Amino acid sequence: MKNQQILPITNADEINNLLRRYGVKFGVYKNGQFKEQFFPFDPIPRIIEAEKFKVIESGLVQRADALNKFLFDIYHKKNIIRDGIVPEDFVYISSGYLPQCEGVTPPENIYSHISGIDLVEGKDGEWYILEDNLRIPSGASYPLIARELTRAASPDVFSENGIVDNRNYAKLLKDTMDFVNRGGINAILTPGRYNAAYFEHSYLAELTGAALVQNDELFVEDNMLWQKTYSGGKTRIGTLYRRISDEYLDPLTFNPQSLIGIPNLMEAYRSGNVAIINSLGNGVADDKGIYYFVPKMIEYYLGEKAILKNAPTYLPFYEEDREYVIKNIHKLVIKDVAEAGGYGVVFGSDLSEEKLESFRQTIINEPRRFIAQEVIDFKDLPILENGGQVMRKADLRAFVLSGETTRVWASGLTRFSRNPDSFVVNSSQGGGFKDTWVML
Amino acid sequence: MKTLNFSFATKLTFDNYVHSHCFALRCLPIESNSQHIVNCEMNISPFVPTKNTVDAFGNNVTAGYIGKEHRFLDFEINGCAEIDLSKPKTDYMPCYLYPSEYTKPDKNLVDFYNEISVKCNAEKPYERAVFFSDILSDLIRYEKGVTDTKTTSVQAFELKKGVCQDFSHIMLSLLRLDKIPSRYIAGLAVCDGETHSWIEVWDGEKWIGLDPANNCPVNEDYLVLSQGRDFGDCSIDRGVMFGAYTKQLQLITSSLKTAY
Amino acid sequence: MGNVMIQSRTGNISTEHSSRIYWLGRYAERALTTLKSLERLYDKVIDRDPEHYKKYLECFGLNDIYGDYKTFFHSFIFDKNNSCSAAYSLERAYDNGIELREAISTDSLAYLQLAKDKLKSAENTSQGLVVALMPLEDILYGFYGCFIDRVYNEEIRDIFLCAKAVERVELYIRLKYRKEKILSESERMCEFLKRIPENTPYRYNENILENLMEMIHSEKYIGRELEAISLVNSIFDGGAV
Repeated sequence: MKNQQILPITNADEINNLLRRYGVKFGVYKNGQFKEQFFPFDPIPRIIEAEKFKVIESGLVQRADALNKFLFDIYHKKNIIRDGIVPEDFVYISSGYLPQCEGVTPPENIYSHISGIDLVEGKDGEWYILEDNLRIPSGASYPLIARELTRAASPDVFSENGIVDNRNYAKLLKDTMDFVNRGGINAILTPGRYNAAYFEHSYLAELTGAALVQNDELFVEDNMLWQKTYSGGKTRIGTLYRRISDEYLDPLTFNPQSLIGIPNLMEAYRSGNVAIINSLGNGVADDKGIYYFVPKMIEYYLGEKAILKNAPTYLPFYEEDREYVIKNIHKLVIKDVAEAGGYGVVFGSDLSEEKLESFRQTIINEPRRFIAQEVIDFKDLPILENGGQVMRKADLRAFVLSGETTRVWASGLTRFSRNPDSFVVNSSQGGGFKDTWVML
Repeated sequence: MKTLNFSFATKLTFDNYVHSHCFALRCLPIESNSQHIVNCEMNISPFVPTKNTVDAFGNNVTAGYIGKEHRFLDFEINGCAEIDLSKPKTDYMPCYLYPSEYTKPDKNLVDFYNEISVKCNAEKPYERAVFFSDILSDLIRYEKGVTDTKTTSVQAFELKKGVCQDFSHIMLSLLRLDKIPSRYIAGLAVCDGETHSWIEVWDGEKWIGLDPANNCPVNEDYLVLSQGRDFGDCSIDRGVMFGAYTKQLQLITSSLKTAY
Repeated sequence: MGNVMIQSRTGNISTEHSSRIYWLGRYAERALTTLKSLERLYDKVIDRDPEHYKKYLECFGLNDIYGDYKTFFHSFIFDKNNSCSAAYSLERAYDNGIELREAISTDSLAYLQLAKDKLKSAENTSQGLVVALMPLEDILYGFYGCFIDRVYNEEIRDIFLCAKAVERVELYIRLKYRKEKILSESERMCEFLKRIPENTPYRYNENILENLMEMIHSEKYIGRELEAISLVNSIFDGGAV
């Protein structure tokens, strides 16, 4: 860090007005009604010192590389299962495992092009991995545009403090899209304005020069992906960035009811004629049950110790862990591996003794269904509220881009909870975001 | 070894024009250790360029796209195959051990499994499968028109009625509960004038066919068109199209005969 | 905002985009021309003829449900539920614009948000109506300038200009502008129409355009406005073939 004293950004309202002006919104459904909300920005940045970031960066590169190798292995030779590192049940019962992807090799062997890895900083100063998001994690566009605007609104802050410029995200993304492109243009598939990530899709399309497309203007012919043009012609697409779930992506291979997919996209993908960002079948690697094994994966594939720690996790599947979980259930957080998103997460401390006892039985009966974690006491961050500062829970989503090389974006999305008691930092639940400054 | 002549045709007619029609056919018989395709010809009308690939389960997929307006899609295959069950198939996939969309059991089916599995003294997977199939053939009545292509094993078991597809699905549910990998087969059988379905049981190193609807072993009178976890992986034709049509009519004809 | 990367697109735009750009052009123009003509009308109404606003309603074939000119002006400027209002057109322009961010640039789009915000603040101001709306017109002109400046794809620019011109001609005819004004706008429209490539949905129908121009030039044009409007609105029918 060049300066010990960090100049604060004080003109929060001005920046929030600018964000409004530039249409930085996300869509939410409330009581069946669609609303576009502005995503409130808090001007006090999360600051990560250069040395600390170097450690985080190497830990994230290692993690994303190992996860990519794991995905390749699972859909091909399955050595990690044969060698007994990951029990096969954890892989094949995962809803993210797609047998339709067996033997299919994505361009350049890359499965997770954009890995969104959620971390928290513990009160002990140590960073812990909370979860991996390998199915097109969203959110990078918010700090990206916020930085553009804060630089304009508070130039002094940036001239006085040495802050790594984070506006290379579009370049990183474009490099990745170009690297895996199979011939044709890059395109970003969006379900449209009523999708929560619509701002992100349109902004990233603008910055990367990719075409913003919807499914009804795309079709597969000769096992290649095309966009219809208004003159009755067609333009080939070589890389497709998409956020819709695998199960809806191709109604002729997956869910036949899907109206948002592209029929026969799987044929084009399997034939190696289009890169899909992120690839299909990634859900098996960011599963709650698989999370436990990521440090082991790093050792197995890379021959290195994991640099970043997982939150301490126990698998009742293993007898030793099961005993610990049964004994300490009251202070653990229990997650149902079959449930997605925030569902199936229970804090032992919230349960009555009676409920705890029945939960213990459930765990003994179905040990594979659950993982248990220590509750991490993570560091609160200051946010501005009613003119003063209050402390709130916040996490950090780091973005790792895998292309010719694996690169970590020197920034990230710091989300905070508005509710002082809440551990849930989610934009659709009224939270906000901060910029994340990596210092020079 | 036996030589079989096969033919299969589908006529799909729409009651109004459709366009932007994308389809994927899984009707070109699989080439495997036990099944060699000597020749096979495919015709699709209206004329459309197609591409063939092999999917993860080993099925031949014929994909095409008809942009222009049309009112029908006909396709047919004709060919000759050599079936030799002395050379077994060994193409294993782990997913065949786990429940799938159509074969996820419910409590009823699990209870039923628990009830019959204790009575089964056989040890070898195929023998256990034969035991289950014997029980099913007494319990489930073969009846057309009560189930359709969306019927799951749970629903068919509830009805205690169904067609070959339903017999296969219930068997797969039971075998997978019994920790025996097994898979769904769609194909043609000499004894059946229509498309048929049966299953294959993994005995540890190879697949062995079993026809639960007829409660008999699979011999060289069976031609495999496609295979997978359940019907969902094996549908002979899937398509998405646009237009004002309200219904489609599908006519299927098929034949499988010993070649002399 | 900087950092935009240009990807060569070999002159192809999607059907979806072409129609959004077209309607963006029409609604943005409708918002501006509506404001301009309401201002002209306001000038007449304030001291000479408070009933004059009814003539404006007649042009749209509407009944007077407003009662007085103040209610009328408020509705035709600010009421988003009145499909003839400036506010309505601005909302529709924004709806199309937000789906075109990557094609028209974040900067261009921002002008539409600014315009919406400005219209809202003008509603609650104590300033005179015309003065309050003036910055809104500035913003809309800024939008046009930014659009032309930031869009590098010629086809997108042409569809936009074409739509603007068609809308203006339609409104000028409807609102019975002077014939010379209509003539010069129509000639400009022809110039833009000719830039649209053949075999696309916004290629004009030669016969219809010819008939329209003939009618506007003709001695007996007055009184045939509705006929002219229907020609304007069918100008692309069968033009692609």
